[in-house]
Amino acid sequence: MRVLLVEDDADLSRQLKTALADAGYAVDHAPDGEEAHFLGDTEPYDVIVLDLGLPKVDGVSVLERWRREGKTTPVLILTARGAWSDKVSGFDAGADDYLTKPFHTEELLARLRALLRRSAGHATATLECGGLRLDPRAARASVNGEPLRLTSLEYRLLHYLMMHQGRVISRTELVEHLYDQDFDRDSNTIEVFVGRVRKKIGAERIETVRGLGYRLTALPGETAPA
Amino acid sequence: MTPRPFRDVGRYFGRPGRSLTRRLVWLASAWIVLALLLTGAVLTSQFQESGLRRLGGVLNTTIDNLIVATTATENTVVTPQILDQRTLNEFSGKYWVVGEPRDDGSLRVLTRSTSLWDADMPAPDSLIERLEAGFGDSISYNAVGPVGEPLRIAATMKRLPGRSTPVVFIAAIDRSNIDADTRQFAAFTWAALGLLGAGLVLAVFIQVRIGLRPLYDLRTEIADVRKGRATRIERAYPIEIAPLAEQMNKLLAHNQETVERQRTHVGNLAHALKNPLSVLLAEAGERSDPLSDVVRRQSEAMRSQVEHHLRRARAAARAGISGERTPVGEVIDEMAVMLERVFQSKGVEIDWRAPDELAFRGERQDLQELLGNLMENACKWSKGRVRVSAGATGLGQMVVVVEDDGPGLPEDQREAALARGARMDEATPGTGLGLSIVEELTRAYQGRFSLAASEMGGLKAVLELPSAEL
Repeated sequence: MRVLLVEDDADLSRQLKTALADAGYAVDHAPDGEEAHFLGDTEPYDVIVLDLGLPKVDGVSVLERWRREGKTTPVLILTARGAWSDKVSGFDAGADDYLTKPFHTEELLARLRALLRRSAGHATATLECGGLRLDPRAARASVNGEPLRLTSLEYRLLHYLMMHQGRVISRTELVEHLYDQDFDRDSNTIEVFVGRVRKKIGAERIETVRGLGYRLTALPGETAPA
Repeated sequence: MTPRPFRDVGRYFGRPGRSLTRRLVWLASAWIVLALLLTGAVLTSQFQESGLRRLGGVLNTTIDNLIVATTATENTVVTPQILDQRTLNEFSGKYWVVGEPRDDGSLRVLTRSTSLWDADMPAPDSLIERLEAGFGDSISYNAVGPVGEPLRIAATMKRLPGRSTPVVFIAAIDRSNIDADTRQFAAFTWAALGLLGAGLVLAVFIQVRIGLRPLYDLRTEIADVRKGRATRIERAYPIEIAPLAEQMNKLLAHNQETVERQRTHVGNLAHALKNPLSVLLAEAGERSDPLSDVVRRQSEAMRSQVEHHLRRARAAARAGISGERTPVGEVIDEMAVMLERVFQSKGVEIDWRAPDELAFRGERQDLQELLGNLMENACKWSKGRVRVSAGATGLGQMVVVVEDDGPGLPEDQREAALARGARMDEATPGTGLGLSIVEELTRAYQGRFSLAASEMGGLKAVLELPSAEL
């Protein structure tokens, strides 16, 4: 497993490098944002550990660039500030997990193992519908290249609609596929979630077919999916 | 009490110090009333004067007629009843008397008008004295006549040809008409002036209200800023108070900037301290000699302390004016998206409900901090289900409830967890629940934070916070 460690503090980098190497990873180290971006772009890493406070180019920008270029490598961000707003901006940029400094090395290793397990799972082809893209491997979706922020339920809803795009899907069908047994199946719930997804991807992408259900379609002018 | 004349005057005039409108209206009213009183007094007295002057003319004619009609020698003064019907009719209101001064300064009546019958012409004691002092001049005065009528009287002293001692001529006429006219005029004048005064005061009041309207507008805008409906003063104001609005905006901006700077400082300090701590922790963690143990334990303690005090500092930096409104649904959503991803291996699902228009009156970072901590806890302890619901409770308040289906906390531990947060100075940081920061932040927003048992089985955290509308 190859890991890219992006961290500017020399002592911390040395330690983490040793710990990661001991855990069986092949470690590359980048001390600043520019080098990190270059390495991440050119080498096929399995996972990336990214410190947010970096010289030259900050971590969030580096991450944003990778995601814009279509890199789906799982990224764990390290924040020193511990403020939730930093974590949120990291996630908006496309992070998969966070750790607040200072942390225990074992914690980092455990998180990396979880990330790798996740990304190694069901590798399915990317789904597309007009400007809408959904990558089941990274569990990420985007509209016209802009990453979408979806909760897991919203993601599942969109995933289901995309797998059956162009077909009318009834509310009952959605409820059955989205919720497990003991979930509170209140019929309004689906409407709430469809409303939220609409707000995030653009209302006109999900059509309401009166009395029947919902249908996901590409916008007029967008190339229809093959 | 020390005398403060202006304050006292102010109090007398209904405390104008409390209201600019009242102060302006009172001052203008006082001035208007004073001016109108003066005008009224001058007008009525002038009117009366002119009436009396007219009567004076009539009296002088009578006296002239008497002088012409009177023939005098050293021993006799003969005055015939002159041809004036009113001086012939008994108590007609028009009288005359011809007399001469006695040695003791009193008047000896020689002839009197028939109208006077045998009543005396009322005369002040000093009449002869005054007539002698201004010899030949006419003296006028008011008196009450023989049948109680008000009289206007003119008197003069003349030396007649053929007689060495002077003769006194006095004529009187009823002035009740003039008095009535004056009264009527006065009544009319005062009524008109009163109306004018009321009109003027009303006009002043309206003018002041309109003139001060920008101030009321400014007040409303400032209140909006305070309530979080606006972040700055937007309207254009007249040049007199525009600088005030501008300064207000600068103050708001300055406040914002200070909070921001504080936060950055705090963040920088955190950043600076955390890397060395990470190094110490990791370095010591790899060995197991006694020194490393001490270093690890102490570093751990330092880490919690740094964390705790930085968060407190951040919470304390909030107290100032904040005009920000943060959409609650948006923050819950971003937290849910992030936490579901972080806890993906556990399969945690966050079900959240919040009205679209619900907003938190405060900074986004603070709501993120509050919800981040509570929701992260819920995810950490849950068996897969977390529920977040938010709603307005009216009167600018809202409530956010975060629940999970985990093991929860028994009641005594819930209380202990909250009490720790309440006793801020002794609070033990790093309880693993992050509740002290939630407690402190909620307090900074004058909200309430409580823990209860959830129907879902786990912990139920309830936040009461100030709300605003989007």
